[in-house]
Amino acid sequence: MIPAWLKTEERIAPPRDGGAFALRSIKSLGGVMARLRVQRGRNGRLRIPPLVKLLLLLALIVTLSLARHLLLLLAIAALILGYAATLPPRDLVSILRPAAGAALLALLLFLPAMLMHPAGRMNNLIVVGKIFLSVIAVNCFNRRTQWNELTRALRRLHIPGVFIFVLDLTLKYIVLLGGLIVDLLTARELRAVGRDRKKYRSVGGVLGVTFLRSTELSRETWEAMCCRGFTDDYKGL
Amino acid sequence: MHIPENYLSPVSCAVMGAAMIPVWIHAVRKTNKEMPKEKIPLLGAGAAFSFLAMMFNVPLVGGTTGHAVGGTLIALLFGPNAACLAVSVALLLQALIFGDGGILAFGANCFNMAFILPYVGYGVYRLIKGRGQAGNARTYLAAAIGAYVGINAAALCCSIEFGLQPMLFKDAAGNALYCPYDLSIAIPAMMIPHLAVAGVVEAVFTVAVYALVRKTSPDLTYERIRSDEPEDGKKNRLPIFALIAVLIAACPLGLLAAGTAWGEWGADEIAEVITKGKTLGYTPAGLEKGWSLNVPMPDYALEGMNEVVAYILSAIIGVALLVILFKLLSLAMKGRRKAA
Repeated sequence: MIPAWLKTEERIAPPRDGGAFALRSIKSLGGVMARLRVQRGRNGRLRIPPLVKLLLLLALIVTLSLARHLLLLLAIAALILGYAATLPPRDLVSILRPAAGAALLALLLFLPAMLMHPAGRMNNLIVVGKIFLSVIAVNCFNRRTQWNELTRALRRLHIPGVFIFVLDLTLKYIVLLGGLIVDLLTARELRAVGRDRKKYRSVGGVLGVTFLRSTELSRETWEAMCCRGFTDDYKGL
Repeated sequence: MHIPENYLSPVSCAVMGAAMIPVWIHAVRKTNKEMPKEKIPLLGAGAAFSFLAMMFNVPLVGGTTGHAVGGTLIALLFGPNAACLAVSVALLLQALIFGDGGILAFGANCFNMAFILPYVGYGVYRLIKGRGQAGNARTYLAAAIGAYVGINAAALCCSIEFGLQPMLFKDAAGNALYCPYDLSIAIPAMMIPHLAVAGVVEAVFTVAVYALVRKTSPDLTYERIRSDEPEDGKKNRLPIFALIAVLIAACPLGLLAAGTAWGEWGADEIAEVITKGKTLGYTPAGLEKGWSLNVPMPDYALEGMNEVVAYILSAIIGVALLVILFKLLSLAMKGRRKAA
């Protein structure tokens, strides 16, 4: 038997809960962090050793930033765009979106200079183009190389093991902690009904919990590694 | 055939642009319906063919130059609607980056080369080929005549657009404001070279590439794309991309054709152009003070640069950008579902 109070229809329209810019930005930041899957890179049909790829990328970026002759710039542009054109459409979106963002930001930064000194406009535009191409090149590399291969390549370059270890762990933790932030804020949202005037109090809470969790995680990792006989030498995942 | 900036009055440009809007909407809708999603990236290869064909300038009679467009070819491969989109995108790229064809005149250029050319070319092809299964010889003949008629129809439209300008827009002294040549000069000046040379080049280019595609990737013809036949395994895309690479490497041949295409002179050249034995003697006001955009690479080159190398690099960048653009478009467009 359903009690009578359950049968009456209630319409609760909680007042719109606006604001809390800080909370929303932390949440979106966490979302981005959680989505940062560094293992997404895939190898194409043509397998170039990751070390060679890394060196090529570095050489390309250094040449690109030093290039003053327009012909050289054009050649690099043709190389990078030609390579990008061979990638599948889905990869292209994730390569071009950050590149476009970076170029747009650079353009915005240059805008006052370009308006005040029209003579230097061409140079400024070249810098914007260089930024666009560099970001595309790095992203292409990212999409086409698996992360563990990259750390192995770094190891071959005699970069200290500790450095690579920290890099590896950092990337892992960014994903883990990003997920944690999103979870915490979602839980908070679900529990809050209606207008909440004390929202900003939870900002500190969320960040504090995240910090505590990160120290806990690092301690646990360290202990686990010691238990498995870690000898301070790290060869990459 | 690229109408430069300021040769058409802004009013004409607006009219032509407005005429293209329903065409583009129709083309996008039909392409969404007809093309399977996985084929849309290949449209980029079609647009690349068109882009490269337009870089091969051939010397024409009377000291001008011209080029093939390849619109009929794309119409044969992907259908006239997809061809309209592909050529429009190629033209946009040329206008924005390489300064070939004006930004304001973009609508007019699209009308000629992206609307009239592929639709007329494909219509003629269908007419000659007929409904049923046609033999190889008849198919190629139909393709050649379609391409020939298509590019000439486009050239005719272009010359009419040029020729109407001096009749409609004059200053107080009776000098033309924009393009100074009326219909009696513009039509023969455009049509004779296109009928004699550029049309033949377009027909040869179309048949050659069409034959290659039919041999290596038979699934890439419009008839096959429209029919729901299951695909047989016989396809090899490599020759198509190899051909694009060869065309890129060979495109500096287009630089051999000296001279400017009819109707594409710069504001500094036009006063000296000889028509019917006399020079024009003045620079039309609209051309002199007209609006123009500083594009990154005017005429596919940069100052103080080796022309040949710059031309090849322009071709690579153009083709790469087209392929990337159509790959991105394929994500945005819904495309036809595969028949279950």
